[in-house]
Amino acid sequence: MYLLRQPEDKVQKFSNALLAARSQVGQCQKCFHLSAEPECEICRNLERSEDQICVVADSRDLIALERTREYKGLYHVLGGLISPMDGISPELLEVSSLIKRVDQYQTKEVILALTPSVEGDTTSLYLARLLKPFTQVSRIAYGLPVGSELEYADEVTLTRALEGRRSMD
Amino acid sequence: MGLTEKRLLIIGRNGAGKSNLLEAVEVLGSLRSHRSGNDQDLINWGEKRAVLRAVADNQDNLELELRRKGGRQARRNEKLLARQLDFLGPLRCVGFSALDLGLVRQEPAVRRHWLDRVVMQLEPVYSDLITRFNKLLRQRSQLWRNWAHSSSQERNSLLDAFDVQMALVSTRIHRRRGRALRRLEPLAAIWQERLSQGRENLVLDYLPGSCLEGEEEEESWRLSIENQLMAQRVDEERLGSCKIGPHRDEVEFLLNGLPARRFGSAGQQRTLVLALKLAELELVGELYGEPPLLLLDDVLAELDQMRQLLLLEAVGEDHQCLVSATHLDLFEGEWKRNSQVLEAEFLMGK
Repeated sequence: MYLLRQPEDKVQKFSNALLAARSQVGQCQKCFHLSAEPECEICRNLERSEDQICVVADSRDLIALERTREYKGLYHVLGGLISPMDGISPELLEVSSLIKRVDQYQTKEVILALTPSVEGDTTSLYLARLLKPFTQVSRIAYGLPVGSELEYADEVTLTRALEGRRSMD
Repeated sequence: MGLTEKRLLIIGRNGAGKSNLLEAVEVLGSLRSHRSGNDQDLINWGEKRAVLRAVADNQDNLELELRRKGGRQARRNEKLLARQLDFLGPLRCVGFSALDLGLVRQEPAVRRHWLDRVVMQLEPVYSDLITRFNKLLRQRSQLWRNWAHSSSQERNSLLDAFDVQMALVSTRIHRRRGRALRRLEPLAAIWQERLSQGRENLVLDYLPGSCLEGEEEEESWRLSIENQLMAQRVDEERLGSCKIGPHRDEVEFLLNGLPARRFGSAGQQRTLVLALKLAELELVGELYGEPPLLLLDDVLAELDQMRQLLLLEAVGEDHQCLVSATHLDLFEGEWKRNSQVLEAEFLMGK
């Protein structure tokens, strides 16, 4: 409705922009993040450390992590999670490219940042075993959202947070 | 509809909506129905949604909306709740229906389902474990189907990833089921003894679907199950299903040392189900400091007069109960006293 009420040239511009995005945006050849160039902005940025690769399921997760402005390493976008029920096997994901990359660039650490679902955990465990001969593998912690009160956290989250506890030194 | 007495007797012919009413209370109290695990089955044919409302203890306004699309919405005192767990509490109930009478005789899955409902009352996190385990099992069997012809090395590394997760979740389910049975057993045994006038000794025997040896300790059990999962892969490939895990659990009810499923008379089996339900009622009451609501769906008629009286005595004056039956005269005089009677024809009127 909103679009119908706009002047024609404005709608034309908008649709051109959509078409351009559709045809120009592809994948970064290195990390498989969305990119209009052969290599994405993050991979081209010389200030980012090549020592760390953070593995995510898709570009949306990468964007969420980027918003923190805390992480200074590189990424690798798998393009999904292993799920036999949906017919998604490791070959359909960017797994072999990840191994090759880690081996080639002598990455020091791979951080697995996948959702804690059955599919996410399966993918994490599978990747961890493949990557261990090449590098150090870690996974992000699961626990309490910042700013929330402990007593209001649900039991499942609290259990996960307890499991992922750290000693204080 | 308001409740004025401790007991509400709902009388009506078959199909009048008696069980519907009790089921609505059950869903409001526990967020699940004993009849169906699927919300779609709880919504009227041709309708997009179903709304359940109740006022508990004259202060908590509970409203649960089930929708064909978009799942559930729970409101407490007009406030939409972000977590459905917050909905539980004001309306704790224990249900007993004619379906439960098959608990002893039917297949093991029925007993696992019953046990799961008990454990969920004790430990809310448990429902997450069960959901997770079922998902793992489905993904794992699909994995065998999809990768039937692919390289065994890749399949094996995927199976390793499943083994690790399943071993951990299985251990936790086994421990919680075992723990719940140990709490239930002494209570149920006392009821069985009382209901049989001292003739029957009841033991609840947990037969886990994984081989659990040695001390009950999470780490050693987990490692042992992981090894068992690994060892059964050849069989799994041949049979197409995994034979290790809590989905193969069984609970055996022993009366004077013999399995009630095979050796108990119909009367003994009935008494046993009653004893288990009463134990559950007691356990939930003990746990939350107040007696839960008892829902008896068409079940009194199935019990003989002596058991009816014993049940009445056991329930006593503490428990509020909603009872359904087809005829008022099925009830002993004692049941009718202090009771509010509802003719169920009116339920379907609107």
